[in-house]
Amino acid sequence: MNDTALVLTLAASMAAAVPIALAALGELLAEKAGVINLGVEGMMLIGAVTAFQVGDASGSLWLALLAGSLAGAVFASIHAFLCVTLRANQIVSGLALVIFGIGLSTFIGKSIEGQPLATDFRPVRFGALADIPLIGPLFFNQDPMLYATIAIAVLIGVYLNRTKAGLAVRAVGESPGTADTMGVAVAAIRYIHVMLGGLLAGMGGAYLILGQVPSWSQAGTTAGIGWIALALVVFASWKPMRVILGAFLFGFARRANFWLQGEGVDIPAEFLSMMPYLLTIIVLVVWGTRDLRRKIGAPAALGIPYIRDER
Amino acid sequence: MIPFQFRLERRLDRKWWHSVLTPLLSVLAALAAGAVFLAIEGLNPIRVYLDLFEVSFTDKFGITDSLTVAVPLILTGLAAAVAFRMNLFNIGAEGQLYLGAIFGSWAGLQFADGLPTIVGVGLVLLAGAVGGAFWALPAAFFKAYFGTSEIITTLMLTFIGLFFMRYLIFGSKSFWRDPDSANFPQGKKVPESARFELWGNTRLHWGLIFALAVVVAVWVLIRYTSIGFDMNVVGSSHASAQYAGIPVRRTVMFALLMSGALGGLAGATEVAGRAYALDPNGLQLGLGFTGIVVASLARYNPFAIVLVAVFLGGLRNAGIALQGLPGERVPVEVSLMLQGAILLFAIGGEIFSHNRLSLVRTTKAVAT
Amino acid sequence: MTASPAGPGSDHPGRPAAIAAVQVTKRFPGVLANDKVDFHVDVGEVHTILGENGAGKSTLAAMLCGLYQPDEGQIFLSGAPVRLRSPREGLAKGIGMVHQHFRLVERFTVAENVVLGDPQQARFIKATEVEARVGEIGERFGLPINPRARIADLTVGQRQRVEIVKMLYRGADVLLLDEPTAVLTPNEVDALFQTVEAMTAEGKAIVFISHKLGEVMAVSDRVTVMRAGAVTGEVATADTSQRHLAELMVGRPVEVETRRGQSPSDVALSVQGLDVVEDGQKVVDGLDLEVRRGEIVGIAGVAGNGQRPLARAIAGMIKPSAGSVSICGKDVTAKGTKAARKAGLAFVPEDRLGTGLVPGLSLTDNMLLTRKRGFFVNRSEARAEVETAIVDYEIKTPSTEAQARLLSGGNSQKVLLARELANLGTPDGPQVVVVSSPTRGLDIGAAEFVRGLLHEARERGAAVLIISEDLEEVRSLSDRMAVLYRGRVAVEGPTDQLSIEQIGLAMAGVAEEGAA
Repeated sequence: MNDTALVLTLAASMAAAVPIALAALGELLAEKAGVINLGVEGMMLIGAVTAFQVGDASGSLWLALLAGSLAGAVFASIHAFLCVTLRANQIVSGLALVIFGIGLSTFIGKSIEGQPLATDFRPVRFGALADIPLIGPLFFNQDPMLYATIAIAVLIGVYLNRTKAGLAVRAVGESPGTADTMGVAVAAIRYIHVMLGGLLAGMGGAYLILGQVPSWSQAGTTAGIGWIALALVVFASWKPMRVILGAFLFGFARRANFWLQGEGVDIPAEFLSMMPYLLTIIVLVVWGTRDLRRKIGAPAALGIPYIRDER
Repeated sequence: MIPFQFRLERRLDRKWWHSVLTPLLSVLAALAAGAVFLAIEGLNPIRVYLDLFEVSFTDKFGITDSLTVAVPLILTGLAAAVAFRMNLFNIGAEGQLYLGAIFGSWAGLQFADGLPTIVGVGLVLLAGAVGGAFWALPAAFFKAYFGTSEIITTLMLTFIGLFFMRYLIFGSKSFWRDPDSANFPQGKKVPESARFELWGNTRLHWGLIFALAVVVAVWVLIRYTSIGFDMNVVGSSHASAQYAGIPVRRTVMFALLMSGALGGLAGATEVAGRAYALDPNGLQLGLGFTGIVVASLARYNPFAIVLVAVFLGGLRNAGIALQGLPGERVPVEVSLMLQGAILLFAIGGEIFSHNRLSLVRTTKAVAT
Repeated sequence: MTASPAGPGSDHPGRPAAIAAVQVTKRFPGVLANDKVDFHVDVGEVHTILGENGAGKSTLAAMLCGLYQPDEGQIFLSGAPVRLRSPREGLAKGIGMVHQHFRLVERFTVAENVVLGDPQQARFIKATEVEARVGEIGERFGLPINPRARIADLTVGQRQRVEIVKMLYRGADVLLLDEPTAVLTPNEVDALFQTVEAMTAEGKAIVFISHKLGEVMAVSDRVTVMRAGAVTGEVATADTSQRHLAELMVGRPVEVETRRGQSPSDVALSVQGLDVVEDGQKVVDGLDLEVRRGEIVGIAGVAGNGQRPLARAIAGMIKPSAGSVSICGKDVTAKGTKAARKAGLAFVPEDRLGTGLVPGLSLTDNMLLTRKRGFFVNRSEARAEVETAIVDYEIKTPSTEAQARLLSGGNSQKVLLARELANLGTPDGPQVVVVSSPTRGLDIGAAEFVRGLLHEARERGAAVLIISEDLEEVRSLSDRMAVLYRGRVAVEGPTDQLSIEQIGLAMAGVAEEGAA
C-alpha cells in the first residue's frame, strides 16, 4: 500500500508549510497596514543566517529562533524607513531589500557554507494520539513550530478582527487619511507592522535552517519560499486562517513529487513548483474582478505612501 | 505619543548639482556601511574596494566584461522604466527575460542556420521581444480590462516562466536541450549566424550597440511620438486621457506589452551575445529585478539608465572577476552585498535630494 | 460683544455659550480668511454660518473644531478659553465636525467606523455592544442605520448619518455640520432637520454651515452672515427674511446685469431627450436643452442633480443611454470627445487639474492635449502658443515647461481657457463653449478675468453653456438659465424674468410639476 507514502508526504507537507505560513502571516500584517514588502526572501535569508550563527555559538534552538526573528525585524525596518518616512516606492525598496538580503546573508554565511547544525527541532508527541492512523502523524506528531504557527495565525486573526488596535491597523491600510483624522498614528502603525512582518519572515527563515534544511546555502536555504509567501497572501485573500490552509496546499505542492512518483504519476517537478503561482493568478483573476474586490480584495491603500493633507 | 515626528518637505530650491552629488554621496554612504561589515569580518575595507575597482573598471578586460553584464541590465532597466513611469508596476521583467530567451533561442535554433548573421540575430531578437510581450500579455489584459493588480500577476508569471524554462532543459528532452548532454543537461547551441559578433578577443558583443540603439528608440518614442505622448498623459491622469479622447485601456496594454518586449529583448541578447543557448542557470541572476532598481535610480530616464546599468554591471562583474584572481584576496560575496547596500542608500538618497527631512515637534506643529 | 461674566458671547446671563469664537483672525498666504470674527452658539440652539463660497465659513468652522488655530482671538468652550490643537483634541472636548467629504473607511461596517480611534474603546471590541449603542443613538436622534452595513453599500445620505452617529457616540455636545444638505435629496434633508431638532432637544449645540437661504430659515434659530472673511450681521431667524439675509450675504441688492442688445442667432448646441444612467441610477432624465450662438445659458442647481453627467455627455466622455447631442448640426451622440471637438466644442471641466489639464505634463504638452497630433509630436507651435498665453492671460508660471501641477488654481484655469478658446471667432475655433464651475476657487481678479473671457466668447458668436453650483454666478453671467433637479430641467427662462423665489423653489424640487 502506498498509504504510508501519502501520509508521510502529507506530514512532510505540513512541516513544509510552516516557514511559508510564517512569512506569509508577516507579510499579511504589513499589507494590512498598507505597506507591501517584496523583500520577504531577503528577510528570511537574514533570519536564517543569523539563526545559524547564534545556534552554532549558543547551542540553543530557541535563542537561535529568537535571534533570527529579531534580525528579520531589524532588516525590515530599512524598508519601513524608506517607505514610510521617505515615501520611497514600496516595490523598488522591497526588491532592493531582496538583493541586499541575498548579498549580506551570502557574505555573512560564507564561513558556514555547507556546515551542518548540531541542534534540530524534535517532534512533540501527543501520547497515544500520535498513534492514531493518518490523523496521528499529521496532527499529533509534528514539531512545536507547526503548533506555534497555527497559534500565531489564530492570534493575528483575533488581533485584526476583534481588537481596537487591529481595527486601527486595518483602517490605516484601507484609508490612512480617515485613520489619521480619527486620531490613529498612521506612521507608527506602519512601522510596527512592517517590522512585525520582518519578525515573522525572519522566524520562518530561522525555522528553515533550524528544522528543515541540513545546512546553510544562500540559494538552497529559502529556495524561493519568500516569493511563495507573497503569492500566498493574495491566494488567501488577506485572511490569516486561509494562509494556514493555503500554506498546507503550497507545502504539498513542494512535497508531492515523492508520493506521486510512487503512484506512478509522472508530473515534472517544475510543474508542481509552478502550482502556487498558477493558483494565485487564477484566484486573482477569478475573484479579483472589480465588484468582488471590494469585499475580499487587497487593502485599498496598499502600496500608496501616506502624505498628510496640509493647507 | 512620540513628541516629535519626521516631516518630509519638497525642496523648491533644487540645484542642478543635487542630481550629481546625491548618487555619489549615496554610493559613498553605502561603501561606508559596507566597510563596517567588512571590518567585522576582519577585512581591510580600503583594500577590498580598490580590488573591486581594479577588476571592474581599470584594465581592458575588466571594462569590457562590465559592459557585457550591463547589456541585459540596460534592457531590463528600460523595461521597468517604460511601465513604472506610468505607474504600471510590471515587476515581471525577470520572467519576460526568460521567455525572451526561450523564444529567441527557439528562433535561432529553428531558422538561423545558413542565414546571414544580421538576419539570424535579428530573428532571435524579434522572437525574444515577442516572447517577452507574450508573457506580459495576461497581466496587461487583466490590468487594462479588469483592473487586476499587475504587481501580483507579473510576479507570479515570473516564477511560472522560471519553472517552465527549467523544465525545458532539466525536466524534459525538449527541442531546446542538447541531446548529447545527458548528465549535465544543457541547452542546444544556436548556430553562428544567430550570435552577436564579439569585439576583438573580449567577451563584449554587438548587443551593447543594439541596447544603446534601443535606448535612443525608446527615448524618441516617449518624447517625440504621439503614442509616447498618450502614454505620458495616461501615466499622469486617466481622467485627462479620457477627456482628451485618448484610449486608456489600449495605452495601458501597449505600455505593458512594450515593457514585456524590452524584458524579452534582454533575454534574447543574452542568448545571442553570451550563452548562445537557453541556459537557465546563467539567466537566473535576478537581472530583471535589478533592472527595476536600475530604472528607479535613473529616475526612469533612458540615458541615465545606461550609466546606472554600467555601474551596477561593474559591481556584478567584480563578483565574477574576483573568483578568477589568484589567492583569496577578496571574498566574492562582497560585491553582492555592496550592490544591495548601494541600491538601498541610493533609493534613500534620491528622496533626500528632492525633499528636506526635518524633525518637528508635534506639540508645536501649527496646521495639522 | 466681548467676554461677560456669564462667558463670552452668551445671550443668557449666567449660562455661557456652548462654544464661542471671539475676535478670531486667520490668515493664509495672500488671503485674510477670517477677520476679527465673533461667533457663538448656545446650548440647545441651531446657529447658522451663512455666506457665499469663499466667504470664510469653512475657515471659521475649522477653527471651532480644532483643524486650524486662530492667528489672533480666542475660542471659548462653555465659557472657558481653550486651545484646540487638532480635531482629535476638539472631539475629546465634545466638538464634532461633519465634513462635506466624509471621513469613513469604505470597506468597514458602520459600527467599525464608529469605534475607530475612539479613546474610550476598550482593548477588545465587543461588536454586539457597539452595535447596540449605535442602534440606540440612531433611535434617540432619528438616525436609522444598520450598524452591520458596509459603508460602500450605503447611500450618501446614510453615510452622513454614520458621520453624525460617530460624533454622538463619542459624546459630542457641539456639532458642526458643513454644508450638510449639498449632497442630500429633499426627503433626506427633511430627515436631517428632524435629527437636528432631536439633538437640540437633548441640549446639543448645532453649528450649521450653509449658503442656502431657504433651509437656513427653516432650520436655524440664529444666523451669522459672513462676507469676504468678515461678519456682516448676526440675526435671529424670527426677526429676519430671506431677502434681508441675501442682502447681508451678497452685500448689494441682488440685481441682474442688463444685457446688450445683441440677439442670439441659430442653435449651435442641441441636447434632446438625454438620459444618462450611472450605477443603475438615472442621473440625467429626458433632458432637452438648446444654446444659440451669441448667448450664454447657465445651468444652476444643487450639486449632484445631473450637472456633471450632463457636461460629460455633451463632451462625449460618457455614453448617454438615450437621446441625442448635436453640435453645429452634427450629431455627436456617444461618438467620443474627439468627434465633439471636431464639431466645434470647447470644454472646460470642473476638475481643472487632473481632467482638463494633465498635472504631470508641461504647459506646452498640456496645450497639445486636445490638439490633433501626427505620428510625431511637434512642440514648437504649442510652445509659442503658451508664450503668447502667458502674456495675454497674465499667467504666472516659471516657464512654458513647468508642470501644470505647480500652477495655482487661477493660473491653471487661465491655461485651460487659453487652450480651449484658441482661435475663438474663426471657423477653426470653438463654436460651442461648455464650462463647468468657471470661477470656483479662484481669487477675485482671476474670476473677473474668466468672466470677461466668457463674455468675449459670446460677443464673438460662440454658444456658451455655463454649469455651476454658484447661483449668483449663473445669474450674473447668463442670458438664459435653467435649473436642474434630479436630472431634469425644473425651470427655464430668460434670467431677468426668473425671480429668486422661483429659482429657489425649483432647486428644492418644489416647482417640478409647475415648470413647463
